[in-house]
Amino acid sequence: MDYDSIFTTLGAIVVIAPSALLAVLGLGALLGRPISERWTARVTQASVVVGLLAAGAILVLMLLTGRRYVPIEVGNWVVIPEQHFHFHLKFVFDRLSVPFVVLSYVLVGTIGGFANRYLHRENGYGRFFLLYAMFLLGMVMASLGGTIETLFFGWELVGLSSALLVAYFQDRRSPVVNGQRVWSVYRVADAAFLIAAIAMHHVTGEGDFSRLMGSDPWPEGATTLPPEQALFIGLLLLVAAAGKSALIPFSGWLPRAMEGPTPSSAVFYGALSVHLGAFLLLRVSPLLENSLLLSAIVVVLGLASAAYGAMTSRVQSDVKSALAFASLTQVGIITAEIGLGLRYIALIHIIGHACLRTLQLLRAPSFLHDYHSLENAIGGRLRNEPSFWERWVGPDIRRRLYRMSIERGWLDAWLNEAVVRPFVRVFQWCDAAERRWTDLLSGTTSRESDAALPAAPAAEDQP
Amino acid sequence: MHAHATTESTPGAVEQPSDHVSDHLGELLELIEHCAHLLPSQGPITTFVHHNTLHSLEENRFDEAVLRGKTVYGCQPYLSEQHYRDLLRSGRIRDTDLVAVLLEDLDDDAQRFIGLLGTRYHLRSAMLQYPLRSGEDAQLRWLIDETDALVRFPAEAPADVRRRMLADTRRWVMSAAVESSPREPVRGQEMMSDLLGQFGRRRIEHWSDADWESFTLHLLWRVCHQGVHGVPRFGPAPTPSIRHRDALLQSSGVDIDQVVNEVLIRFCAAFLDQGYAHWSLPQREQGFFKAFAALYGDSRPVDRWMRRLPSELARAEQEGFSPLESIADSLDALGVTPAEREEFISQTLLALRGWAGMIWQMETNAEWAVHPAPIGTLTEFLAVRLLLERSALEYSGSQFLGERVELRELRTVLRRRVPHTPRVSVEQRAFLVFQLARMRGWTPAELHSLTKSEWSQLVEEIEAFPSVERRRIYHLAYERRYRNQTLDAIAAHDRYHGPTVDRPSFQAVCCIDDREESFRRHMEEIDPRCQTYGAAGFYAVAMYYRGASDAHYRPLCPVIIKPRHYVREEAAYSLAASSRTRSQTRRMLGQVTHRWHLGSRTFLGGIVTALLGSLASIPMVTRILLPRLTAQVNRLLNSFLLPPPVTELMIARLEDPPGPEEAHLGYSQEEMAGVVERVLRETGMTANFSRLVIMIGHGSGSLNNPHESAYNCGACSGGRGGPNARAFAQMANMPKIREMLRERSLEIPDETVFVGAYHNTCDEDVVYFDLDRVPRGHRADFEAARQVIDRARERNAHERCRRFLSAELSMSPEEALQHVEARAEDLSEARPEYNHATNALCIVGRRERTRGLFLDRRAFVTSYDPTQDDEEATILARILSAAVPVCAGISLEYYFSCVDAVGYGCGSKLPHNVVSLLGVMEGAASDLRTGLSQQMIEIHEPLRILFIIETTPEKMMSIIGRNPTIERLVCNEWVQLATLDPHSAALQLFQHGRFEEYSPETTDLPHVASSGQWYRGRRDHLGFASIEADASPQSTAAQEAA
Repeated sequence: MDYDSIFTTLGAIVVIAPSALLAVLGLGALLGRPISERWTARVTQASVVVGLLAAGAILVLMLLTGRRYVPIEVGNWVVIPEQHFHFHLKFVFDRLSVPFVVLSYVLVGTIGGFANRYLHRENGYGRFFLLYAMFLLGMVMASLGGTIETLFFGWELVGLSSALLVAYFQDRRSPVVNGQRVWSVYRVADAAFLIAAIAMHHVTGEGDFSRLMGSDPWPEGATTLPPEQALFIGLLLLVAAAGKSALIPFSGWLPRAMEGPTPSSAVFYGALSVHLGAFLLLRVSPLLENSLLLSAIVVVLGLASAAYGAMTSRVQSDVKSALAFASLTQVGIITAEIGLGLRYIALIHIIGHACLRTLQLLRAPSFLHDYHSLENAIGGRLRNEPSFWERWVGPDIRRRLYRMSIERGWLDAWLNEAVVRPFVRVFQWCDAAERRWTDLLSGTTSRESDAALPAAPAAEDQP
Repeated sequence: MHAHATTESTPGAVEQPSDHVSDHLGELLELIEHCAHLLPSQGPITTFVHHNTLHSLEENRFDEAVLRGKTVYGCQPYLSEQHYRDLLRSGRIRDTDLVAVLLEDLDDDAQRFIGLLGTRYHLRSAMLQYPLRSGEDAQLRWLIDETDALVRFPAEAPADVRRRMLADTRRWVMSAAVESSPREPVRGQEMMSDLLGQFGRRRIEHWSDADWESFTLHLLWRVCHQGVHGVPRFGPAPTPSIRHRDALLQSSGVDIDQVVNEVLIRFCAAFLDQGYAHWSLPQREQGFFKAFAALYGDSRPVDRWMRRLPSELARAEQEGFSPLESIADSLDALGVTPAEREEFISQTLLALRGWAGMIWQMETNAEWAVHPAPIGTLTEFLAVRLLLERSALEYSGSQFLGERVELRELRTVLRRRVPHTPRVSVEQRAFLVFQLARMRGWTPAELHSLTKSEWSQLVEEIEAFPSVERRRIYHLAYERRYRNQTLDAIAAHDRYHGPTVDRPSFQAVCCIDDREESFRRHMEEIDPRCQTYGAAGFYAVAMYYRGASDAHYRPLCPVIIKPRHYVREEAAYSLAASSRTRSQTRRMLGQVTHRWHLGSRTFLGGIVTALLGSLASIPMVTRILLPRLTAQVNRLLNSFLLPPPVTELMIARLEDPPGPEEAHLGYSQEEMAGVVERVLRETGMTANFSRLVIMIGHGSGSLNNPHESAYNCGACSGGRGGPNARAFAQMANMPKIREMLRERSLEIPDETVFVGAYHNTCDEDVVYFDLDRVPRGHRADFEAARQVIDRARERNAHERCRRFLSAELSMSPEEALQHVEARAEDLSEARPEYNHATNALCIVGRRERTRGLFLDRRAFVTSYDPTQDDEEATILARILSAAVPVCAGISLEYYFSCVDAVGYGCGSKLPHNVVSLLGVMEGAASDLRTGLSQQMIEIHEPLRILFIIETTPEKMMSIIGRNPTIERLVCNEWVQLATLDPHSAALQLFQHGRFEEYSPETTDLPHVASSGQWYRGRRDHLGFASIEADASPQSTAAQEAA
């Protein structure tokens, strides 16, 4: 057996393991035969362990054989020649994707073990693990994606499962509202991504990254695109990355995503989803090299997000928000590192940060316990010593900075004002016009829904 | 416009003469403080004390209070009807219980005849027997049109009822159809002929049974619909809600509380923060109102609804408004009349009740906290809230209405825009009667012959027994069943004549806690010659305590007591040097960890920590996948850091008075003698001492549990009771103290040695204190006792594990112990232990009366010997003055968190997020959640606790008369009460303000060889059983040998 077939087999296992998991859990739910807690846990564990072992084996083989680029072609799934469109599935194992996929497996696997006990007896146990499987598959596909279509497919799965996990407690109001908010921001990011994908097809004729970045293995690739095109595609991808990684101005969704159960929160900001934007930028990093302006924008955006996150995190008085914004700080720095071309450092940074933050988030419910242990160790109240800022910045500026931080930079309000409101107004106008027309045509009030109570009466007891 | 508004303002407010302004504000302040009592009274979560969730309504009877709770908080008063009916089906509630409580509840009215359709009792029992569905009109119409409601009788309808109804309808229809007599009322005729047309009048003689069934039901529905039509509303019409926000919500669907709360939550969290945030709120020391004004006064909010806020704040500052004046101004601007004020203020405060309640607690009840809130903070909070609401109302109101409307007019204008709803729903009433008719066999003909006034009476009768009333009856039956089972078991298990042990092998004193019941039972089963006692777990040592590795003093005594004494633990004098080094190392490591944690959230520190972050994956993976092993490794590493294992308590005071300074630590001899005497006399442990007495305090340690403190000893205000047991043992061992006790005719033999211990109820660990001081001659006794306790730990863990679905039923006791050890250390375990869940009883009396009775960890067991008490029952009164409020508080907190886990409880703990070091929120911005979590109560049965006290009714009545707290709880039926006669098995039950003889339903009580035999393989609640092993030591020994 030659190396190629071994690589292909192992690579297929890495992708098939989570797909099989999703299929098993999904079919169970779809056929109305939910799988028991015990079996869900077993299947999940098996799938993660198999996938992780295969990914580890690939890593070892690549190190042994010195190969740095292992593509696995799955072929075109949709081909529309007239439109010059094809949906090309291709997975790539290289220095970027292998660490990332191993990281995904380790963290997601650990969280799976955690959630199995944490969500024990919970009504939505099955639902959680279904979304979990979707998330895992999304992460694996996005990390390994060798074409922009593949990456987008994984990206979408991650987005969908993330938003649904935020809204996990679906019978309360705020998780649903916040889940929707996250979803909306993701849609904006996805739209930018999609346009970038189309533009890429248009420019290079296909979505294969190797076409775009040249055939050298990551991170050595160099793009052949002219700087203007690189800038255009790069900017779109930057918007996509910013939405996914909660960079400015999309940062508002980050604390909102805290509504889900602790383990899913941990997967979000701590670990994976929030780094996916940075991963995308890493994947297309040769593009950045080609346009100085683009690199500069990435650096500025990264640093601005980092500064924003650092400030906002300082004023948060709840554990999870503080950690969320602390994550944002690091993701901002990672983004800036990518902009500066420090690709390996960015990758190490992602891995280290993901592990650390996941641990911190998983410990968040034990925070009081840990806090008291620390107090006891130190032998007194913990003090937050006044930092550089507090010593050197005047009280008035400090108050303003505090206000900006506690209001989270009014970012959500700005988005509402600048994007949501115009949108809503246009559609309200359309709605009013339609109502006038239908009223006119029917000669009477034409909307039955107008008679309905705007707020459903509180769940009233049975008489 | 503005001038017009002022002249039109509320007459009361304007006509106030100006020199009465301060009076006026004083009244307002009183009103606010009065309303504050409705807020949740849970303090900071780190000192969690169980208390009655509806404590503020204790002046009312229980059933009235829960209904009032429903109006005020919108929370459920009882479990759902569905839940009770499931219990009925499973046999947990029996029909006989339901009949008994219904008859008792109706009293003389039971036989009251209501029209043609039987007695009130019949009607109500039918309504209890079958599920009555209801819903919105649209839902009901759907049920009628789209389901087989009008096609088939439901499966649970009795077959003879169905047969009779079909036959009767057939007769009626045939005669009407054939005769068409003119005497038939015209409308009925129309209805029937229309229906006959639908079903095919010509073929009527060939109709199948199914046709007739469907026809009958159709006819019945029409008759019901027509019958209830035009029956007036009974009772008052619902009053419109008083808040502007509700009017806006109902008319437009916009909820201003959403946006207002979001700002307030952030601000409250920052204001109350006890030290989590890196940056604290600027100008926090100036108070809530000023700090808010300073922060937002010169802001330029982007949110449109907030844009008017800065100018309002500026105006308040210009006019020099105090917070109270600002509230008065806002009330005036909103057009709230003086009569409405109380209601308006309480509803406004309740709109964010968790935070408002925490502010009130921090203001009134937390002088010990790092940052208590200054007096008046709640008023300032209300002032800010009203300003925010005004700003939001002006914006959202004008957006919805399309024009600017004066705030004081807004409610009126908005109420006019609320879509009209019918005053009473014909559909709902008709459907109720229809369902009952189907079940009870009221035929269409019978119903059709009712006059309008008879219909009216019928509807009134049905509506007089609404869902909450039905649930109340179900609940009474639910409680009755368990109460009777308990009383029967106690009467049947009356073995107090049994052989008394001549000299116990050892004696153990535990807390009265329900979790120690099984622990004691297992000790007694393993060593039938041992004796156990129950006493409130602070063992009369009310102190501020600081352990050798603790940072602060914390009170270890019930909340109602304010300790005067300070006790400190220090490393043994000879080890002081090593202790100092260790504490310095701890300090250094602690600071490094603290820096690391803070640093990981900052800009530069973050880079360093994140680059090293991959190392974090090691503890993360091991912690989650191998919790027990990780904990063991941690403990091993920590053993080099913790204070040396040999420590001493600073218990003997050198100088008066007691205080925290070195020489003033501890107790005087006189006080110590008092402590020891009190506990020994209360438990009745005054003679027949064994050579070894073990005092066991308890607590609980777990991870992933913000509510950790709630799991600790309730008698130590959510602290761990080990130090109390240790202090007590040291006191009781002092020769001088014994001498003093001897003078008070309490003789402790010289050869009796007391040992203090600490029982961790989560991982079942037991630690003993001061073993070096156990005399050599007693070490064999101690080793024997330790072996018994070790086996009891395993069995106790085993018994607990039957409740954990994630623990296999087939586990051995050793495995069970390992399992609970892992649970306590598991980061991902949402249920480290079940705390007080399932508590339902409190037994006060000699242990002999209940020894060997399987109580399923549901009982607080307090030792008390009525034969040693005086005529006044002084000792009992003292025991009950603490035991009744504490046990009632625990029971009622569980009750309310269980019947409404989201409203009264804090919902699922999965999304909980620790905020300000004070409490938990759901997600990143929610109200502060108080009460118990879903995971804590999931196996609980919400029952009012039943006290069974070994005394006479007369003595009990006199105690009730002397203690207003007990009187309130007992007479208003917040707890149940029974007495057990000290000299016989006679039981008296307190009902309707007096004791009545209880006659047992049965004298059967299962006999089993051991607890294990009874619970093995069972997960659910278990009944009572008599355990044989206890009675005959030989059989146990034989069992052991086998």
